Amino acid sequence: MVSKVLVANRGEIACRILRACSEAGIGSVAICAPNDQGSLFTELADEVVLLEGESIGETYLDQAQIIAAAQSTGADAIHPGFGFLSERAEFARHVSANGLIWIGPSPEAIDQMGDKMTARQTMRAAGVPVIPGEEVEEVDEAKTLEALREAAQRVGYPLLLKASSGGGGKGMRAVHDPADFDQAASAAQREAIAAFGDGRIYIERLLTGSKHIEIQVLADRHGRTIHLGERECSVQRRHQKVFEEAPGPTMTPELRDAMGQAAVAAAQAVDYEGAGTVEFLLAASGEFFFLEMNTRIQVEHPVTELVTGVDIVREQLRIANGEPMSCGDLMIRGHAIEVRLYAEDAANNFLPAIGPLAVFRPPEGPGIRLDTGVREGDDVTPNYDPMLAKLIVWAPSRIEALQKMRRALDEFVILGTTTNVEFLRDLCDAQPVIDGSTTTTTIDTLWPKGWNPPHDLTLEDASLLVAAGAETLGLHLQQRVGSQEGVVGPASPFATLNRRYP
Amino acid sequence: MQHIFASSEGPIEVTLARNGEALQLSGYSLTQHDRGRLLVTLPNGGKCIAHATKVGDIWWVHLNGRTYRWERIEPGSSSARDEGGLVAPMPGKVLDVLVRQGQSVEAGTALMVLEAMKMEHRIVASTDGRVTQIHFQAGEQVAQGAVLLDLEEAE
Repeated sequence: MVSKVLVANRGEIACRILRACSEAGIGSVAICAPNDQGSLFTELADEVVLLEGESIGETYLDQAQIIAAAQSTGADAIHPGFGFLSERAEFARHVSANGLIWIGPSPEAIDQMGDKMTARQTMRAAGVPVIPGEEVEEVDEAKTLEALREAAQRVGYPLLLKASSGGGGKGMRAVHDPADFDQAASAAQREAIAAFGDGRIYIERLLTGSKHIEIQVLADRHGRTIHLGERECSVQRRHQKVFEEAPGPTMTPELRDAMGQAAVAAAQAVDYEGAGTVEFLLAASGEFFFLEMNTRIQVEHPVTELVTGVDIVREQLRIANGEPMSCGDLMIRGHAIEVRLYAEDAANNFLPAIGPLAVFRPPEGPGIRLDTGVREGDDVTPNYDPMLAKLIVWAPSRIEALQKMRRALDEFVILGTTTNVEFLRDLCDAQPVIDGSTTTTTIDTLWPKGWNPPHDLTLEDASLLVAAGAETLGLHLQQRVGSQEGVVGPASPFATLNRRYP
Repeated sequence: MQHIFASSEGPIEVTLARNGEALQLSGYSLTQHDRGRLLVTLPNGGKCIAHATKVGDIWWVHLNGRTYRWERIEPGSSSARDEGGLVAPMPGKVLDVLVRQGQSVEAGTALMVLEAMKMEHRIVASTDGRVTQIHFQAGEQVAQGAVLLDLEEAE
């Protein structure tokens, strides 16, 4: 029985889950590293356990400490969110072994999908199309390169080398010319060993100009496995999604049916339970291929929630409690778009930025949803992922959703820290985004030399007047400034600036 | 009402004219709306709401979906960044307070010594005046943009 959930995560997704617990009338426990004290998510939990340690490894990745926190607070279930321990089968096992409910799929399912080579084989056996390619099961290290080279000949160029334990682009290499193969394969292996302690590499044909389409699935213990339609997340920079939408702009009911059935088959092949996402590449030819399955809630789940009316996190709680899921037949209504707001300098190779959120004023109005873990006055520190918020809009049609997103981004005021808001706003005016023809290489094609904000001399002059006028009017005499590391929340010793200017 | 801001092409001098409630600059006009928000009238007659906030020496300005940053150069200081005005230029620790509350000081008097990024910074009075409030004592940590002391300008 799930009566109190410990959320083994932080930031935006912890807020999302803690709020779902509150809505479901379930008790909640947050865990919090010392440098996260005072963060928004700690205020949304019924109880907070302060973790000991400094690094992420000593806090949000410390399995023993997290399980002890659940036991000391009487929590009976653990929700891992995404990232951190969410896809560690061994943690799922520890949780269950300690008599706690793991809100997610079985450790076996996590393992089967986590190892990419095993996942490809399982999918092929289940009749789910995989990207043409080969797994190389050569144990003798001396012969691995030779075996890979031969496999590459059969797969054909251009191709993609991928680490079996891979993720986030690590251990991944595109090879266009056979002459580069040996070097790329060795580099991919070295990277994979360094990052995952596992140098196994497999080869896929490189499908350029493809769309990234993923299918949300839900499975309960009452024999029901369903899909909630697709999300298109083709717009990526450095393998990181920034713009996601549902439904896919080029999707047809027939293709949705076929991809949905393949995703359900993929989930059933590993006896999946809870919420998961099956990612596919949709080639220009209309063929689709299994990419991988994420065995957890995903960052971009809200777009599916807005077009299907299903509260996915709430369903996770129901399913973990042994109840049947509450959603009926799939109904897709309107169009939803999500953008990811990062504290980063989009004009400078997307370098992460830090600073105070001196002003943080999100847009409002009908059809706008903001999932965030920060509020005005917080500091963006280098300790964690620089994602500040997810801005999600819903409208009856795609064109209206895009109009709403432009309006919302124009209204979003964040001062004190550099963000990618303007980059996202420009993205909404890019032709491939307008006509829905985005592919995984869209950003590189649109801005081959990197993005820069457009120059508008009138606005630039006006902003200079504003800066000078604000100084003259003494606006800074009344303003509040965000606290910095070491000075937390209400204890912040400075609030107003009383200095007089000439 | 003259202000100097840093730009990639060197310092920009901005001289505002006052016209009733409005501040003006070659065809542009600005009035205060409420706390932190300003109404801008563009030369073509268009209007927009601007948000402005100051962090350290930098004015962050949001206008029509765009965000601009203008670093203000303190009058009389050769390098505002080095001397930091009366606001902590970056997070750090107060090493020494060199004045008492109520003390009259001349422009250029060192008021406080701050250690930030392993470097010492002297906080110097920008004008003649009187120290009305000292917000931090030696040994205390300060955040970037924190007001260290208040100085009342001499009449």
